[in-house]
Amino acid sequence: MKILRQIEYKPVRVIGGYTDRILRVDLGTQEITIQELPPDFKDKYVGGRGYALKLIWDGTTRETRYDSPENIIVMANGPLGNEPAFPGTSKFIVGTISPMTDTFIDSNIGGHFGPLLKLAGFDALAVSGISNENVVILIDGDAQTISIAAAPAYHRATDEGALSFGERLLKDVNGGDYSDSLAAVTAGKGACNARFGIINSLFFDMRRKRIRSKQAGRGGTGTVMRYKGLRGIVARSSLPKANGNNAIDKEGVRQAGSRLKAVISKCDHQQLSMSIWGTTGLSEYMDKFHIFPINNYQYGQSPESSKLFANVFLEKYFSKKIPDGCYYGCNLACAKGAENVQLTRGPQAGKVVDIDGPEYETVGAVSSMGIFDPHFVMEYSWYCDEYGIDVISTGVTISFFMECFQRGLLSADDVGYELAFGDIQAVDRLLHEIANGEGFGKIVGQGVARGKKWVAEKYAARNGTSEDAAMAELNKFGMEVKGLEFSMYITKESLAQQGGYGLALKGPQHDETWLIFIDQVHKELPTLEHKANALKWFPLIRTWFNATGLCKLPWIDVRNPEAAKTAEPAKNLPTLAYYVAYLNATTGSNKTLEDILDDSERLYILQKLINLRHGKGTRASDQIPLRAMGPVYFNEYEARAEYYDEWLQQQLGDNKVPASLEQRHKLLIEKRFEAYQQLCDIVYEKKGFTSEGIPKRETVEKFGLMDEQARQLLNKSGV
Amino acid sequence: MVVSIKFHGMQRLVTNTDSIDMPINEKTTVNDALEYVKQKYPGLHLDEGTIIAAVNLEIASLDRILRESDTVSFLPNIAGG
Repeated sequence: MKILRQIEYKPVRVIGGYTDRILRVDLGTQEITIQELPPDFKDKYVGGRGYALKLIWDGTTRETRYDSPENIIVMANGPLGNEPAFPGTSKFIVGTISPMTDTFIDSNIGGHFGPLLKLAGFDALAVSGISNENVVILIDGDAQTISIAAAPAYHRATDEGALSFGERLLKDVNGGDYSDSLAAVTAGKGACNARFGIINSLFFDMRRKRIRSKQAGRGGTGTVMRYKGLRGIVARSSLPKANGNNAIDKEGVRQAGSRLKAVISKCDHQQLSMSIWGTTGLSEYMDKFHIFPINNYQYGQSPESSKLFANVFLEKYFSKKIPDGCYYGCNLACAKGAENVQLTRGPQAGKVVDIDGPEYETVGAVSSMGIFDPHFVMEYSWYCDEYGIDVISTGVTISFFMECFQRGLLSADDVGYELAFGDIQAVDRLLHEIANGEGFGKIVGQGVARGKKWVAEKYAARNGTSEDAAMAELNKFGMEVKGLEFSMYITKESLAQQGGYGLALKGPQHDETWLIFIDQVHKELPTLEHKANALKWFPLIRTWFNATGLCKLPWIDVRNPEAAKTAEPAKNLPTLAYYVAYLNATTGSNKTLEDILDDSERLYILQKLINLRHGKGTRASDQIPLRAMGPVYFNEYEARAEYYDEWLQQQLGDNKVPASLEQRHKLLIEKRFEAYQQLCDIVYEKKGFTSEGIPKRETVEKFGLMDEQARQLLNKSGV
Repeated sequence: MVVSIKFHGMQRLVTNTDSIDMPINEKTTVNDALEYVKQKYPGLHLDEGTIIAAVNLEIASLDRILRESDTVSFLPNIAGG
């Protein structure tokens, strides 16, 4: 490998979860620097997403776009990452200015890269600049060197694939063998051609004896990485992972971890059984309650859905009786995988591959295209990962164009071929066109927000109508907010989750808030006040997980039996107490849950300020498509008329529901829209925002964020 | 009089069936249905606090009286990824 630049360094020891060092690499100048952080930096910005937010806030401007040289791509674990004594400690955050939303995006990802980066001496890696050739970064804590090297060229098929290239790279830098002392992140050729490129996190699974992968899927982080000319990053450290954080109170860490592991061991198999079939178990429950996305979220249930339930993947694909998981010590171990799956479609048909996943989101993306073929789900999952494109945005964008066909807004003349729901051949063709930047794939690779404009222009020109009129129609069912496609849950029957998606700072991704079940099924949020309180509390606690390097699933998807005795079981507070104990034992702090929520709120407000700076921080940017609020077309209303009529009657009180079904449908949409606006009003107030969704001065000051940039921004916003 | 008890997810793999019928009388409650299932399928481990009961897809308390043709489910708590 041709080394272009190399520095030697002395890795500092992790103490209490931190190294207090950030590695900065400028690919434009090939400058490599190690930044020592002041003691109060971690107190204020915690780690992970918090570090990414602060670096982006300080290092970019309102003019910065994803392809600007000054854009920074930050990868950061967090103080609680890398502890096998506690479940779910491998997460790291990728944060950058997104090619989808043109504002800050964060995407969390498992695997060994985050922990190894920290063991190699860094709380975060921040890459800026644009290289004039394809390069890789090698962070070698063992050799005590950091290098920028010319990206190796193996052969075309390997070099184009995010998985293939990463596997080869990991072997290459380790003398031909795999080792769990190394991990890599890579981006594939799809990230060069689509805005929703992903970053793969590759690590050696010693039990399966193969390289496995997890993905930072949302918002085009891989697209940013490839635009910078960065093909991959390898981190290496042979330091022991056990007690890798050098916790201040090792026994406290052990006790907190033992308690959480005991709950998971006892309860997971009674609940979602994630340790057996991963997140695919959700499909059945989502379908049962009309939440499973079918045909671009038109319907929430299908007679064919059972072809995609977890038992199908368990029986046909998942390797059984092999302990799973994306990091050591996690007994939830939901990262399922399949070996020796033969591809039957696409350019690599006939090849036998190992597949990590599928996750629920992959299954939902395929059902959203009206396809119910489990083998296609496996192939779709593998190709998206290999190309390096987001399974969610790919599926939702294709679904959007399918509905444009369905409603006569687009024709085969525009695309070059028919694109109907359920047309597996067309989707297969389009998937590869997206990755290759060919044909109609070039349009689809831009995502729904830009796709709407393209369709509006085509339709208006063909029919002699205004683009605005066409756009108004497309806005009804184009499933994006802030430029990001919805993840795979239907919100029509959950007002709380409508807020969860609409108010999510990065765009409609469920990891900020997921309230569907406690709202729609459990009925634990009966009033606007309840929903608004949940829309404040859950994003804050979830932000904390993203700041500390932790996976949320051991907390949120395994209900502690003791939670039933609390006033708000959905918060799973008995389990959260283990997390607070783990934090204090690791870092030596003495924080309460309230302290943690305050820490998170500072990060939340900072992200809101970045959104405001980039034109995505006001009420207008929190508006969701009508499809997310209710049955935007009559066929959707008919499919759930009984539910909608009952809801409408509740809203009208003593007034009668209109006799005409068309009038009923029209009134229903009006009432749903009103309800969403009322929810926004209450949530903004609780969050300390103006009615326009802008943080008030006192809110910014409360969290010590009123620097000159914030002051000017609020002045400009009239606050 | 009977009610139908539906099995989902892993429950279906343990019981090898989508549903069973359970005879009821005018005093049979959701809790009686739970005990019936526990006795019939001890491998299910339906402990209080780890599942929620639903009747006709609506969350129900354990003391709810069952009616002819009701469908009963014992669901996991699902709180998202």
